[in-house]
Amino acid sequence: MRAAWRAELLKVATVRGQWLGAVIAMLALPAVSLLVAATGGLGTGDTVTSGAATGSVAGLLAFGIWAATVAAGEYAQQTMVVSLTTVPRRSVLFSAKLAAMGCIAAVGGLVSVVTAWLVVWAVLPTGVHHSGDPLALVSVVLAIVAVSVLGLAVGLMSKSPAASASIVVVAVLLPKAAGGLLGGLQRWVVGASPGTVITQAVGGAQLPHNQMFPGGAAAATVTMLLVATVVAVGGALTLLRRDG
Amino acid sequence: MAEGERRTAAIVVEDATKVIDGVTVLDGVSFAALPGRVTAFVGPNGAGKTTTLRAILGIDHLTSGRAIIGGRPFREHRRPVQVAGALLTPDAAHPRRTARGHLTVVAASNDLPRSAVDAALHLVGIADIADLPAGQMSLGMRQRLALGTALIGDPAVLILDEPHNGLDAGAIRWLRVILRELADGGRTVLVSTHLMTEIEAFCDDVVVIDQGRVVMAGPLGHFVGGESMEQRYLDMVEGG
Repeated sequence: MRAAWRAELLKVATVRGQWLGAVIAMLALPAVSLLVAATGGLGTGDTVTSGAATGSVAGLLAFGIWAATVAAGEYAQQTMVVSLTTVPRRSVLFSAKLAAMGCIAAVGGLVSVVTAWLVVWAVLPTGVHHSGDPLALVSVVLAIVAVSVLGLAVGLMSKSPAASASIVVVAVLLPKAAGGLLGGLQRWVVGASPGTVITQAVGGAQLPHNQMFPGGAAAATVTMLLVATVVAVGGALTLLRRDG
Repeated sequence: MAEGERRTAAIVVEDATKVIDGVTVLDGVSFAALPGRVTAFVGPNGAGKTTTLRAILGIDHLTSGRAIIGGRPFREHRRPVQVAGALLTPDAAHPRRTARGHLTVVAASNDLPRSAVDAALHLVGIADIADLPAGQMSLGMRQRLALGTALIGDPAVLILDEPHNGLDAGAIRWLRVILRELADGGRTVLVSTHLMTEIEAFCDDVVVIDQGRVVMAGPLGHFVGGESMEQRYLDMVEGG
């Protein structure tokens, strides 16, 4: 398993487009947060922490699309045959992919939020905004990991980079966009969607009550991670059943 | 698998049947490829050769029957690249990944030392273009890289699907020599090819498959019986 995990990391490290994609994904969140903070987009009630999280959706989309295209790309490029013959145990192969993607997303997400917090803190006028609770940004890292795992799973299931990237975009953006159509389910669906989980963790006051997950930010985070786990299991089963 | 066993693993396919969407692609395929011998796996396009090879490697499920390497399904071996090396497509490397990068990934996946990468690059004669992305290589060079992928673990079994595609005359002769040497060293070599002259030149056994069924399996000498390989093969699969 450890060897297969190393190989998965090396796959990313040995293709420029793939590691560059991860770096761009890592920069997306702080870049958007910087833009919002530098152009006066933050309200007086915002903290440095909530300001740092304003680029979260960009970060989620960037990491999710990256994970999806990397995973599905193995099928599109026909390189999956080598993966299946060099690591023929599907459970090991999937676990290695999951662990590698999770590590890259976690480390990348952590660097993203720390960078975002520092740049927002640096550009905001001194003494106007409270710092907030920087630890709340852990929810951003967890959401990035969850969306990356989702991207990996749908990439393996769909085999199509375009289709899996589209699914990630829909999964990140649709819950909030279509929340009003969900009636009583809105709190559960929108409340546990990655973007809303982050908003609840770093600045719940900005959310309308009908989008707040019952049980609060912690319960919403756990639910989001559970949903990502269920999708990951779907990806694993697909690999087991379809690919031999 | 012990070192001695690792170098003498046989491929056994028993009553392999595969049905896809109601169409029988493999129909009770049975044969064995033995250590120390090069077994040619021949048949018309669509006969089921690649499906059989993929089933042996556990890439495709069989509807019934079994395909094993060294006494067990391929995926149950702990160090797969030391048990079987496979060449199923010349495009197995990511087009943006260098040959060295590709082999480094394969070596890492099975805990092979870095020296295995250099050894494989030299063995297949692409050490001087090791840092070229696979997408910029000719078909013949990509075929060599795919062969390097198969050989990197010094496996007991080699499974090659049309390895001659894209190779020039010199490379075909080189491949013939290297496969013969590997078989003489105790390896099991199963090679699917349409080149009848190559089969006559270096293969020991022949398995002929047509419409998902094995129509002949045995030593090359018994198969040709004094005729040309090409004529015997065409008589068998086309009736003419």
